Amino acid sequence: MKLVCLGLNHETAPIEVREKFALLDGALDRETESLVSSEDVLEGVVLSTCNRTEYYAVVNGGSGVVDLENWVCERREYIGIREGFFYHYEARDAAEHLCRVASGMNSMVLGETEIFGQVKKAYKRSLEGGATKSVLNKLFQRAFGVGKKVRTHTAIQEGATSVAGASVELAEKVFGRLQGSSVMVIGAGEMSRKTARALQSRGATSVMVTNRSFDKAADLAEEIGGRAVPFSGWEEELSHLDVLIAATGAPHFVVKPQHVEAVRRKRKFRPLIMVDIAVPRDIDPEVGEIEEVYLYDIDTLQEMADGARKRREEQLRLCEEIIREEIDKASLPAVND
Amino acid sequence: MVMGISWVIIATVLAAAGGVVGVMALRSEKVGRVALVCMALSFGAQLMALGWRGELRGQCPLGDLGEICLFMAWSLTFFYLVTGTTYRVSLLGVFTAPLVFLLQVISLIPGAFEKNVVSAESIDAWREAHTSLSVLSYGALALAAVAGVMFFVLNYQLKARKFGGGLVHGMPSISRLVQAMARIAVVGWLILTAGIIAGLLMPKGNFGLHLMVATITWVLYAVLLGVYFVRGLPGRQLATGLTVLFVLSLVVFAKL
Repeated sequence: MKLVCLGLNHETAPIEVREKFALLDGALDRETESLVSSEDVLEGVVLSTCNRTEYYAVVNGGSGVVDLENWVCERREYIGIREGFFYHYEARDAAEHLCRVASGMNSMVLGETEIFGQVKKAYKRSLEGGATKSVLNKLFQRAFGVGKKVRTHTAIQEGATSVAGASVELAEKVFGRLQGSSVMVIGAGEMSRKTARALQSRGATSVMVTNRSFDKAADLAEEIGGRAVPFSGWEEELSHLDVLIAATGAPHFVVKPQHVEAVRRKRKFRPLIMVDIAVPRDIDPEVGEIEEVYLYDIDTLQEMADGARKRREEQLRLCEEIIREEIDKASLPAVND
Repeated sequence: MVMGISWVIIATVLAAAGGVVGVMALRSEKVGRVALVCMALSFGAQLMALGWRGELRGQCPLGDLGEICLFMAWSLTFFYLVTGTTYRVSLLGVFTAPLVFLLQVISLIPGAFEKNVVSAESIDAWREAHTSLSVLSYGALALAAVAGVMFFVLNYQLKARKFGGGLVHGMPSISRLVQAMARIAVVGWLILTAGIIAGLLMPKGNFGLHLMVATITWVLYAVLLGVYFVRGLPGRQLATGLTVLFVLSLVVFAKL
């Protein structure tokens, strides 16, 4: 009896290959069912996300993971180059790999948390389909425990690693919770959408979008569930804003000190955070001199994101130690035998 | 005497520990509740020490420099414990602890506590209420000033874009600090109001310089808070006002 893991991910295979092996929700159950219907496979879990497809199986004899790779390629009718695209792990290595995946250490964005839920979901589906037994049940339960421990005992998920995430982090430093806060996005491009989405995910309720082309503002507003404001009227909205995101393609400053000065009294001098993610800048740096205004440009946000990424990488050694210790402590059949 | 002073020493050591452990926790970027626990224990020791002095005096222990400093340290700790948990600003403890420590060190200076205390034969309730409420209010106003100092630190870091280190991570948000500053100051001001009313009700002839200075302080705080709540003020100006007013009134009272 042997524990094996076969997989490919964003680090080993290009998108053209990954998409051949990606499995949608419905196909996932059929794949797991087919996997365990083979007489050499005793248990199986199939994990498929946008960046990876992985097979965890308990096999009985045979050449194990090589057979599994042939079986998978055959099912996907894949006849191209395989070398280097797939990774193979057996026994303890497979268990440690699963722990790394569940902890977000193997993700494109180091330490991201979504993968934990995806692994849980994949396991649950296999469990409900009767595809797991004692080995994989124990292994996955342990991996979930390790994932939680890694996240609570290290700083692997701390700090924002994207410009949008850094904007949210700063807004929270000024306002605490963003529930009920009012946001305006000037510009209707991709960065505006990402940042507005990130703020919404943390509770910002009122999102306004303004753009020189009103149609574009309306499209983005509709997409994110916000309200489009004509470009000629954005200044009036400034009096009740908490966060302003500027990301236009304008060659000159759009937001100037006099815009804020005009509404300070009306705002009762409440804090206002301004995020300028445009190049050339949209917000005159002098706006940041106003006492209650906290102004950040793209360089600051990028620096924050880079710093967080570096800090997360520094945590990897600590995470590996936790994984080793936890696997040592556990009595996992087909892993520690 | 030895047992009584021991409580002051214990309270002082605990306040120092709260500050040191808090700073260490900040350096390791893990702001825990250690400062809160140390301050809670210090609060217990302060109560024991105040009980000792109160028993000696047979009235509210505010008869000498040591007692005033101790009472003020107690009041400051009390408001910190209430506010720190209400606003979840445990970091406030790291900033409060040094002030509590300093006040208690002053009370430990030889001679700060009168040795031969004569127990009071009669008590004037209004005078007792006036002095104790006034000192209690200064505890709250001191804490508002401490929150103001925290605001300066965080505001500087956010404005200067210095995000490294545990301090910025452990701090509450700017909005929460402004809210905490204003609310604590209102509580302090309301208690001071009660203290002044009690002072006005003291037997005639007792309306001294202290009460006049307290009344001027009350007016200045009223103006500052009035402007903040009615017209609005940038956080930095509120923090400046609260810090300057507190230090100024403290200096004036010390001179009297």
